[in-house]
Amino acid sequence: MNDLTLIRKNLFRKKLRAILLTLSILIAFLIFGVLGAFHTVWTSGSEVAADNRLVTVNKINFTVSMPYAYWGRVQAVEGVEAAGHASWFGGYYQDPTQQVQTFAISPEAYLATYPELVFPEGQREAFIENRTCLAVGTDLASFFGWEAGDRIPLLSNIWQKTDGTSSWEFDICAIFDGREENMPANYAMFHYDYYNEALAFNQDQIGWIVTTTTDPSLNDQVAREIDAMFANSPAETETSTEAAFNEAFVNQFGNIALILLFVVGSAFTTILIIVGFTMVTAINERTGEIAVMKTLGFPAPRIFRMVLSESVLLSVIGGLLGLGLATLMINAIATVAAAFLPGLAMPLDVFVAGVIIAVILGLVTGLVPAINAQRVRIVTALGKQ
Amino acid sequence: MFKQIGAVTMMNLRSIPQRAGLSIATIISIALVTGVLLGFLAMSNGFRATLQGTGSESVAVMLRGGSQAELNSGLSSDDVRLIEDAAPGIARDAGGRPLVSGELYVIVDGIKRSSQTEANLPLRGVGERALDVREGFRIVEGRMFEPGTNELVVGAAVLREFQGFDLGETIRLGTNEWVVVGIFSTGGSVFESEIWADLAVIQNLYNRGTGVQSIRARLTSPGALEDLQAWEEDEPRLNLDIENETEFFADQAGGTAVLIEYIGWPLAIIMAIGALAGAWNTMYSSVDTRMREIATLRAIGFSGFAASVGTMVESLVLAAIGGLVGAVAVYLLFNGVSASTLGSGFTQVVFSFAVTGGSIVAGMVMAVVIGFFGGLVPAIRSAYVPLLTVHRSE
Repeated sequence: MNDLTLIRKNLFRKKLRAILLTLSILIAFLIFGVLGAFHTVWTSGSEVAADNRLVTVNKINFTVSMPYAYWGRVQAVEGVEAAGHASWFGGYYQDPTQQVQTFAISPEAYLATYPELVFPEGQREAFIENRTCLAVGTDLASFFGWEAGDRIPLLSNIWQKTDGTSSWEFDICAIFDGREENMPANYAMFHYDYYNEALAFNQDQIGWIVTTTTDPSLNDQVAREIDAMFANSPAETETSTEAAFNEAFVNQFGNIALILLFVVGSAFTTILIIVGFTMVTAINERTGEIAVMKTLGFPAPRIFRMVLSESVLLSVIGGLLGLGLATLMINAIATVAAAFLPGLAMPLDVFVAGVIIAVILGLVTGLVPAINAQRVRIVTALGKQ
Repeated sequence: MFKQIGAVTMMNLRSIPQRAGLSIATIISIALVTGVLLGFLAMSNGFRATLQGTGSESVAVMLRGGSQAELNSGLSSDDVRLIEDAAPGIARDAGGRPLVSGELYVIVDGIKRSSQTEANLPLRGVGERALDVREGFRIVEGRMFEPGTNELVVGAAVLREFQGFDLGETIRLGTNEWVVVGIFSTGGSVFESEIWADLAVIQNLYNRGTGVQSIRARLTSPGALEDLQAWEEDEPRLNLDIENETEFFADQAGGTAVLIEYIGWPLAIIMAIGALAGAWNTMYSSVDTRMREIATLRAIGFSGFAASVGTMVESLVLAAIGGLVGAVAVYLLFNGVSASTLGSGFTQVVFSFAVTGGSIVAGMVMAVVIGFFGGLVPAIRSAYVPLLTVHRSE
């Protein structure tokens, strides 16, 4: 009989207790895993951001437009590799509750700033050439069941055409996707010209400009130059990196990270206390046995190691089960909610962090009982009976 | 019978200190679960209370058909005039002029104190009629803006959550400097999350000509809304969505408040399962350490039922203490704490966490349910302790 067998037998000597402890540990790691995955997808905007991509918006607020002519001037700034512009369409399909994220863009220039968008053979060219084309992200296309070749109307809850309606007809001629799993493809894009020529108001205005620099080290310089160009004009601009812009937007919803920290912290505090006290009780019950082991010649460090291994084993079993269950849950949610939460998956770093926390939890909860066990004095312990 | 139950229960409760460690573990774990639930409910209730406390049943809000939010809407000055001149059911002042307020709703950046990042704040362009279609508006500091000038008044909630809007500060919008000349309160409603300035000046700044985005009108009575809606239906020159203001804001409360609850409840329930396992474990140990004691009681004639009631009551008491600790802690830490989030108007809504009586009841019920199921199996077990355990040496 080696130590591992002893540890295993000890852990499951009271089956119900072991199961209950495993269950409460499992729950904490389930919460950690699921919330960790959501947090990652929530903040992915700043992670998938290219390090040389800048966003220029109206200084008053990003919902305020700027003149079309700005686009041409930004393109001429030194250090700019490519610059495209986009405008928020406020689109919906059939019913106002079925919102569709849609942007009116400068097709070729805008796509040049997003090299990570991949199109099937020939569709990128088809989109650039065809004025009425709507390029649809795969997640969005599968949500509405759209395919290349479909002709659909999209309505805008903001813009009106000169004919008084708010409906634009589009031919879906391209379905695009992100090059990597976590890049969102839940939106659609179309030609700015096709939209602008029909506008009843706000013609020749654009929403924002996306720029890539020839080198990330030029970001600050290019941003400063762009903003200086439009200083003291009726539409001053504010240029920031894509990552900073996305982060600010996510922060608008509130301090989500702090809330998650509270919840995960509560869950871990709970198991730390439950498992900690239970382990102390469990080892106390075994005082006599440990004394016998010592009498048989088990050295104190070996007993210390065995008790510690027992609590680490318990918490790693619970942790792995919890993280495994979290992965299954996240995969299930991801298939249902692809259109709203694109790129939802169990991130490897969350899983690894979970395993590390499980080991630490095991060490912390096992430390006091292990010290107690190591200190058991044969005379007093056996004298107890 | 009742004497037995009473005696056993008291024995259980008095012996809790002997099992202090595990009992405290149970109390804390249940307190944390209750705390998480109440925290989410306080957020949801606070947000809902702010939006539902906004608006009046006798004010009609008119937006362009299908626009869904003030931000998206756009109406012409002709629309305003037509409503002022011809719409039925609209109240008039002593001079016979209709109480109709055309308003602009645009967004400016504010720096959120908590994250130091830019966030969307609503800048509302209002005319002289704005106060006739709102209740409870008062200037708490400074004065109202002068029409035709670059002056602003700022809602009290904006001041709380965003920096740079103190009285006397200047703000740059476009090429103009604006001065904050007053702080206003509307009694905790969502208008306090707004900045107000003169309509004509904002129209000019945002190149809106004479257009507005929303029209508010005071109705002669809440029932007059239907007359107004019927009139609009038959008026070919208008395409409006008309709602009373209470409904308008209640609709906006829905999404976010429900979302917060949909996150809070499942989280709390999953955590509750973990706490239940903990409580079960504690009660199991409690019965375990008292095996001989219970067997002795049974031997001298106490019923198994009394023994199990004692165990169950112990579990319920621990759970109730936990629930109470959680509720008190959340109340002390979070009640009234100010926060802001992006509302459905695409602008920040400032609200205060509200720990309500109803949510405390919900939290206590959950705590007691955890205690009940945690104590159930151990309680049954204590009814069936074999009498021979008396002789078993520990």
